[in-house]
Amino acid sequence: MTGLKETEPVTAAATRLEAPPAMDVARRVASVVAAAGVCLTLDDRHILQDIELEVPAGGTVALLGANGAGKSTLLKVLATLLRPSAGRLRLFGGDVGPHAAKLRSRIGLISHQPMLYRDLSVLENLVFFGRLYGVPGPRERAEALLEHVGMAHRADDAVKTLSRGLTQRAAIARALMHDPDLLLADEPFDGLDAGSAAALEALLTRLRAGGKTLILSNHDIRQALALTDRTVVLRRGRVVLDRPSRELTPDAVLKEIVGP
Amino acid sequence: MSTRWKTLKRLYLPVLLATFAGATAMLLLYTPVEATMGPVQKIFYVHLPAAINAFLACLVCFLGGVGFLWQRKMKWDDLSAAAAKVAALMCTVVLVTGVIWGRAAWGQWWTWSPRLTFSLLLWLLYVVYLIVRPSIESRERRAMISAVYAVAAFLDVPLVYLSVRLMPDIHPVSVEMDPAMKITLAVWFVPMSLLTVGLIAVFLAAATRRRLKRQQRREEASWSLATPREQGLRPGEDQVLQVARSGRP
Amino acid sequence: MTGPLGQIALLAAKDLRVEARSRQTLGLVTVTGILVIVVLGLGLGTQGQSPGVGATAILWVAYLFSGVLCFEKTMAMERHDGALAGLLAAPIDRGVIFASKLLTNLALMLVMSVVITLVAVVLFRFDLSAAPGGFAAVTLLSMIGFATVGTLFAAVTSSSRLQGGLLAVLVFPICLPLVITSTQLLTGMFRDGLALDSPGVGILASFDAVYLVVSWLAFERVLEP
Repeated sequence: MTGLKETEPVTAAATRLEAPPAMDVARRVASVVAAAGVCLTLDDRHILQDIELEVPAGGTVALLGANGAGKSTLLKVLATLLRPSAGRLRLFGGDVGPHAAKLRSRIGLISHQPMLYRDLSVLENLVFFGRLYGVPGPRERAEALLEHVGMAHRADDAVKTLSRGLTQRAAIARALMHDPDLLLADEPFDGLDAGSAAALEALLTRLRAGGKTLILSNHDIRQALALTDRTVVLRRGRVVLDRPSRELTPDAVLKEIVGP
Repeated sequence: MSTRWKTLKRLYLPVLLATFAGATAMLLLYTPVEATMGPVQKIFYVHLPAAINAFLACLVCFLGGVGFLWQRKMKWDDLSAAAAKVAALMCTVVLVTGVIWGRAAWGQWWTWSPRLTFSLLLWLLYVVYLIVRPSIESRERRAMISAVYAVAAFLDVPLVYLSVRLMPDIHPVSVEMDPAMKITLAVWFVPMSLLTVGLIAVFLAAATRRRLKRQQRREEASWSLATPREQGLRPGEDQVLQVARSGRP
Repeated sequence: MTGPLGQIALLAAKDLRVEARSRQTLGLVTVTGILVIVVLGLGLGTQGQSPGVGATAILWVAYLFSGVLCFEKTMAMERHDGALAGLLAAPIDRGVIFASKLLTNLALMLVMSVVITLVAVVLFRFDLSAAPGGFAAVTLLSMIGFATVGTLFAAVTSSSRLQGGLLAVLVFPICLPLVITSTQLLTGMFRDGLALDSPGVGILASFDAVYLVVSWLAFERVLEP
């Protein structure tokens, strides 16, 4: 892992904590995500190169880019599913390496795959994940969440019997079971019908208002700009744009995605 | 490439051939013909060095596997595969010389004696490694699977050795060697070890060359995409589609 | 948060519950084992032959083929709908995932091996009365080693893009010491009337220990989302 870079902003440096993250650290730490020079090389292919990303608590970031630009990979790295080949990644002020397991309890992941067991019922899935994350009273929380996403009536149905839209709602409930502080969403609107998409938008807006940190990759640029306060564009594994969403137009973003 | 390497490369083949010639001469002329078995016994001078070198090649293969699991760099996979090829080759030599010896000593081509069984199982372990690799298309998966197998196979070697010793041994082999035989045996280690190291180096170099060429081609392809908008790039389009449409390699 | 043992139990319980609902694995695996036994038995013409000769071969071949199928299926469970990513994103050690898969595989294998052994005993009049405890001990130790290696390789090879039969080819050669040792032990016990041989048991136990440790460590590196 590389050492401190001179160009790092003061806020990032100030949040460098050496102790393992405690539960109340989020209130003191400014940065939820602090990636410096993060690279990922697989089979001698450079999938991510020199990623610099700093996200404060409560920040919402849209991650945009063409297919193969590295969005999914970056989200997996942030979720600690993949290990960076170089660079430094800190989540909630703690280095990812030694404390990875503990940090994961504060991260929620939504992808275009639901990550549910299709032969179990929705409720069974949620209770399982709740227990896995050490959520107290998992059953009650699961039932409450299912109400919240409008799926209480299908709670006991096997996941394989659900439509794509409902499955995704169940997946979102799964991601929220442990009340994560950081929510990573990899193209969550993929393949959703209009109703489910609208529900998801509303949910993300509510989470944003509730102060959750959100990093979301999307193909719909307009939607992404509307849902977030910052936009990051990746092209061939590098960050080419990192600006507040309100300063950007869909055309300008498209230009950056496509390149010169 | 530095001159030292160049001289080494140029010297290698002549030295290898010379040592083989010398060792063979010793085998044929210097060592006595054994009373009970006749000239075929001399195959032992090849058999034992081959076995030790096979084991060393297995060790290098294991180290390559460990290296890949630790660093995820393809160079370790190249090393592992190169060593496995040599291990399989040496194991073949061991197996064939062992079988010939057995035929001369006991009149049978094959018995399930501990020694022969061990040779066979070791041979199998590394032949499987080589056979399986091409059937995995993705290079990353291939390297990962090979690495795990390389580690598991090497750790298996002592276990195989111990377990075959439980098998009944009808034909125990006892070799008494006089000084001339011992010297010849020691001498045979030289060409065999040279061969092992040389082959691993050759295979590794070839694999590294292939990998670097692939990398170069990939970088050229992605560079050509950076050329200006004459390509008529459409929003959100796949890089592969862009290359295909442009018609460039 | 529950400790690792609790997590392992939780994951294994989930696997068994999914298995109970889908009913895919156990039936298929057991029937495969029975089929193998029948084919081998018919081919070898072993009716009435005393145990310890051919019996271990028949049983082992049945265990190997149905076991590999079992390991493939329990790992494939995680490949549907990206469920594995869900586990990898959870605050658990990768080794916990390994241990839970191993437990699930062992549970299924134990059921399967009991059924298959009973079938073999009935069909071919294998006589285990000489040393039933010894037989159980040897089989159990061998199963642990086999399931350990199988779980490790099933995780590494688990992918929809890979050809079938790959797992078997990788696992069989590695597990040959188990076959050799258990055959020698069982032959010793049933044909020669010897007591359970300690070098043999030592080898089985060493095999289990070595691969348990290696698999636990390797799982950290080997699982990919």
